[in-house]
Amino acid sequence: MRAGPGVRVFACLVALVFVAPTLIVAATAVTSGSMVAFPPNGFSLRWFEEVLTDPEWLTALGNSVQVGLLAAVLAMVAGTSLAFAAARGRFLPPSLVTGLAVLPMTVPLVVAGIGFYLVYIRVGLSGSVLSLGLAHAVLGLPFVFVNVLAALTGVDRRVEEAARVSGATETVTLLRITLPLVAPAALVGGVLAFVSSWDEVVVALFLNTPQFRTLPVVMWSQVRSGVEPSISAVATLITLVSLVMAALVLLGPALLKRIRRRT
Amino acid sequence: MSALSQIPARGLERDPVTGPGGRAGDGGGTPAPARRRFPRPDYWSGVGLPGLLFVIAAFAVPMVVVVVKSLTDPSPENYAAIFSSAVYQRSVWDTLRMALVVTGLCLLIGYPYAYAMARSGRAMRTFLTVALMLAFWTSLLVRTYAWQIILNDTGIVNTVLREWLGLVSEPVRLIRTPFAVYIGMVHVLMPYAVLALFAQLRSIDPDVERAARGMGARPWRVFARVTLPLSLPGAVAGGVLVFVLALGFYITPQLLGGARQIYVGQAIMQQIEQFLKPGVGAAMAVLLFAAVLAVLAVAARFVGLGRILGVGMGRRR
Repeated sequence: MRAGPGVRVFACLVALVFVAPTLIVAATAVTSGSMVAFPPNGFSLRWFEEVLTDPEWLTALGNSVQVGLLAAVLAMVAGTSLAFAAARGRFLPPSLVTGLAVLPMTVPLVVAGIGFYLVYIRVGLSGSVLSLGLAHAVLGLPFVFVNVLAALTGVDRRVEEAARVSGATETVTLLRITLPLVAPAALVGGVLAFVSSWDEVVVALFLNTPQFRTLPVVMWSQVRSGVEPSISAVATLITLVSLVMAALVLLGPALLKRIRRRT
Repeated sequence: MSALSQIPARGLERDPVTGPGGRAGDGGGTPAPARRRFPRPDYWSGVGLPGLLFVIAAFAVPMVVVVVKSLTDPSPENYAAIFSSAVYQRSVWDTLRMALVVTGLCLLIGYPYAYAMARSGRAMRTFLTVALMLAFWTSLLVRTYAWQIILNDTGIVNTVLREWLGLVSEPVRLIRTPFAVYIGMVHVLMPYAVLALFAQLRSIDPDVERAARGMGARPWRVFARVTLPLSLPGAVAGGVLVFVLALGFYITPQLLGGARQIYVGQAIMQQIEQFLKPGVGAAMAVLLFAAVLAVLAVAARFVGLGRILGVGMGRRR
């Protein structure tokens, strides 16, 4: 049954509330004034310029990108590996492997943060791209795992058997046939892992040091003392990157299919 | 552990030619029964070994360390300290109440939204989907910051009330109240509820509703007796997800809430950052994680874990 007019009007109002905060932050970032005001007084990109020339923000930006990339790559490798064990391995029950792989999705970030903090403090790794990258890789791993697992069930085993019959070893078949077939799914998972690392605050707070802080951590420390146009500018940049990545993941596969069909 | 480390070696040693050859020799695809009955290290388990080791080292070990810390720093008394502390008990009840209210609001507001998304023309559906996704993929911290801008004493709401409408002379206290926390939490978590409800509503066969209509049921009755019951699994999946996510929230209550109301996520941080009692913090964390897993385990019996965790795949708080 079609939704009635009342339901639709209500949904549209809720939709406006959904988007309003994001748009308001963007509006307060392009103000020419030195205060967060709405409606903004005058348009200028001066706060973006200020942020992108400030060494503190730039260092944090660099850290965030490095952590995100490391987390994405590690999550892709580990998640794909686990997906193979869950789909095809006979040594461990698939439910056990799946449980282990999706468990990081269920853990509250505060809990995960304490665990990482205690371990990395002990091994002297706290406050580095490596430690936060490892932690975020764990949190991003389920996204890769679930995507690759779904792709693996769709792989036609006869293609692999053809390679085997033609004399390829199991490993060559894996590298040349199976992995390329599931690579798009792994990549989608990797992008999701990057985004989840990119705007993650709680675990990053546990592992930050004055010398090593990511973009959301610096934003957090400034937000607590009040709202500023420069924070709005950073918030807008963070959002833009997340949205571009999300669009890639949500629209990318369909777009790719359309391009392929055309050629 | 020693058995596990054997996996790659055995798998890789297998002669590439005997693999398929042996399979053919079995008589056209009849698998050797012995292989099925005794699971032993095989090639694909070997491929899974790096991932397995990674999850164990980078996730299972830290979780075990939290449990150990909660029992040994200084002693299991940590748990007794939690249960006897009135402050902590209050924060548990406050957290439960907050999570329940937020879940209820997310489902109440999210249901019509998901319904409009599932049962409207193309333009309407696109608009609602884009709005939902824009909010969903805007960082939690950014959205919380946005509510700070809106609800501040000098924020948008107060500016409108005071300068434009002249309704109040003093700024209305909106931020640092439970009210602000609820608004922020509902805004952050509602997309999960909407996505779960939408997926469920889309899966209902339109013919079932048409049949009810054809047999003379009025629209509201079709909804109450057919659509609503059929959409319940989606409501449970979305509701459970929102509830467990809300239990451990830290960022939003910390920025929008007052100092008098401390939720569990904040209490854990406080133990570690301010009181320097990581043992007590770890014990609280263990209890929180146990509660989350218990809720998920119970809910999984009704709607399946895949449906709960599959909601909004790729986004976590």
